[in-house]
Amino acid sequence: MTKGGFATLVGVALVLAIGLRVIDLDRRPMHHDEANQAVKFGVLLETGRYQYDRTDHHGPTLYYLTLPVAWIRGQTTLASLDAWTVRIVPALFGVGLLLLFLSLASRLGRTAVASAMLLAALSPALVYYSRFYIQESIFACLAIACLMALGRYAERPTLARALTAGVCAGLAYATKETSVIVVSAAVVAVAVARRWSGPTGHRLASRMMDPRTWPPIRHLAAAAAAALAVAGLFFTAFLSYPDGLLDSIRAFSVFFDRGTGASAYSQPWDYYLRLLGWSSSGGAVWTEAAVLALALVGMGSALGPAGGFWPRAIAIYTAITAIVFSAVSYKTPWNLLPFYAGAVLLAGIGAQAIAAHPWGQTRWGQIPRRPMTQKAWALTPSAGKRWALPPWLVGAVLVAACAHLGWQSWRAIDRYAADPRNPYAYAHTSPDVLRLVQRVTDLAAIDADHDRMLVRVVAGPYEQWPLPWYLRRMERVGYWPRAADAGPFEGTPVIVASQENVGALEAALGDKYISEMYGLRPEVFLTVFIERGLWERFLAAHR
Amino acid sequence: MKIQHMLATVLTVAMFAPLQAGQGPEKTELKLKLPKPMFIGTPTNLKSANLEVVTGKSRGPFMVPVGTKLLSEKKAVKSSDMQPVIGEMEMITDGEKEGGDGYFVEIAPGKQWVQVDLGASASLHAILAWHYHSQARVYRDVIVQVSDDKDFLKGVTTIFNNDHDNTSGLGIGKDKEYIEVAEGRLFDPKGLKGRYVRCYSNGNTSNDLNHYVEIEVYGTPLK
Repeated sequence: MTKGGFATLVGVALVLAIGLRVIDLDRRPMHHDEANQAVKFGVLLETGRYQYDRTDHHGPTLYYLTLPVAWIRGQTTLASLDAWTVRIVPALFGVGLLLLFLSLASRLGRTAVASAMLLAALSPALVYYSRFYIQESIFACLAIACLMALGRYAERPTLARALTAGVCAGLAYATKETSVIVVSAAVVAVAVARRWSGPTGHRLASRMMDPRTWPPIRHLAAAAAAALAVAGLFFTAFLSYPDGLLDSIRAFSVFFDRGTGASAYSQPWDYYLRLLGWSSSGGAVWTEAAVLALALVGMGSALGPAGGFWPRAIAIYTAITAIVFSAVSYKTPWNLLPFYAGAVLLAGIGAQAIAAHPWGQTRWGQIPRRPMTQKAWALTPSAGKRWALPPWLVGAVLVAACAHLGWQSWRAIDRYAADPRNPYAYAHTSPDVLRLVQRVTDLAAIDADHDRMLVRVVAGPYEQWPLPWYLRRMERVGYWPRAADAGPFEGTPVIVASQENVGALEAALGDKYISEMYGLRPEVFLTVFIERGLWERFLAAHR
Repeated sequence: MKIQHMLATVLTVAMFAPLQAGQGPEKTELKLKLPKPMFIGTPTNLKSANLEVVTGKSRGPFMVPVGTKLLSEKKAVKSSDMQPVIGEMEMITDGEKEGGDGYFVEIAPGKQWVQVDLGASASLHAILAWHYHSQARVYRDVIVQVSDDKDFLKGVTTIFNNDHDNTSGLGIGKDKEYIEVAEGRLFDPKGLKGRYVRCYSNGNTSNDLNHYVEIEVYGTPLK
């Protein structure tokens, strides 16, 4: 691939990646996890305080990285925040992942990197979760950054590179507890790949055990100190909550129990494979099989005799993380990102292997490390006997795969953004909630108290979210899990209730209220009770 | 006493005989071919004053005049969104009412309508609609209208309207919302005459899209 062609494809990939990650960011209703994170960020924004919660919420990088965006946009309170401000943070890291790929161009080859960037730009999974205000997009980006930093250190061990790897590991740890999986996988992948490609004549295992190949102690100590310092700063809320770092270690027992115990989130081992390979529901079909197939080719190429250090490190990292995340019984679809980012990079290597393979005369083991130029090819001894897939055919297949991925991504962020048939929309808030919020807003507009209109939400925690986000601009909203604790209801213009509380509320309210039902999530409903006089005024205003 | 009783009976029959004859043609039960339920048990815990009571039981027999037949089968269907992402408009009158994939049409979000052209004006005795019955959900602002005008500009009669806040701008409806189930929702046109049947909806409680598995219109052709 020429430099000009590479530059063009990189430009196209970046434009597509930015466009798909940023357009209409605030259109999809807030998922309850997003809303929960956004409200937690709002507390940090308003008070400057953060306290790590070892039972939930993961690490604090998400919140601290959102601060500069809010400041730039002039938003200083939870009420002034909007969805765009919080969602742009994972979107930027989604684009950052492509820039990390780009920095590997000299090591993997232009075809591999351009292909991987295009696939990453258009992958529905990567696009969808880059628009989601949770840790996953940041975490995937940091996981790949950690792998790359370790790889660069292995190429040329310097103190600066050891420190960089430590910082990346520390940031990953401060983002999500499962960093122990991805950082460990990256260390093993780089160590094995480095020695695999070492001097011949020794077995891999003996090379692994040779202390002469180990990093110097001072480098290890510097990397560990950097990781600890970075993680410590975040978990202690920049030294204002000293217990935070220790809590992050205590959290492992919580997450270990959650990861291995039976729960509503338990899924079979092949959950991620099926999710990415083929998902069909309600007439909508989704597949990223093209990426998986190319990743398999890339895996074969990387682990073959001519694989090289970087392809092998990426392949081993991807294999380890995919196996471990699949083995953990607790599964949510966004947890696939850390290994799928590696798989997409591997798919780029696979695309390059197909483009460069001299079909018909050679075996896979003879794949050149980099795509051969026409001139180099012509100089090979048996050039006249060989034939290769025409570049236009390889390009056309890749374009078709990218077009299909792009079309799916568009569906995933547009029409099916919150639809249960979208495999990435997991227990998602129904768009019907936006009607509920609009109703409450409209009622507040005609109520004498306006934004101080009293609203009582009577629902368990699972059915309260994402209302605290959507009702954040209303000053008097209270939340109770049970109707018995929420009264008296006299003088409450609007009451929102989960279905288990509706009977008790109907008995308490009599005919003084009218009620409406709204979908919160698929087959989960909320009932809104509106004081009859207020409703009559509302109808009169909308006649 | 016995004679008096007999006389009273005869008088009563004589008084009401003309009235009974004036009630119209003889009635018979409407026989429907219903699809298999897609979810086990209707969620009977759902409650709202604006929601039809969920009993979890069949709606029971519905009586129509003898000679009533299915008029909508294979009839032309028009919609406010003629380019559905999933399915084809013909599926709405193809007689297939199953709840699974491949049986429904998905049209654009927001307020949308579909319209069945019966080919000729008829006396309508039952209209049934299945939006999507593989999941417990409520379709918003369901409005069913009948007219002889294909553009629904004149002679429009609304036979069902549960748009209780006039979101659709077609007037405030007094009917209640309902949960989609396999037996569909039956609307009673009470013998109303018309050639076109138009059904509105405005998204649902699961997503903001509109769906139709089937619309069936039963009636008797005008002589």
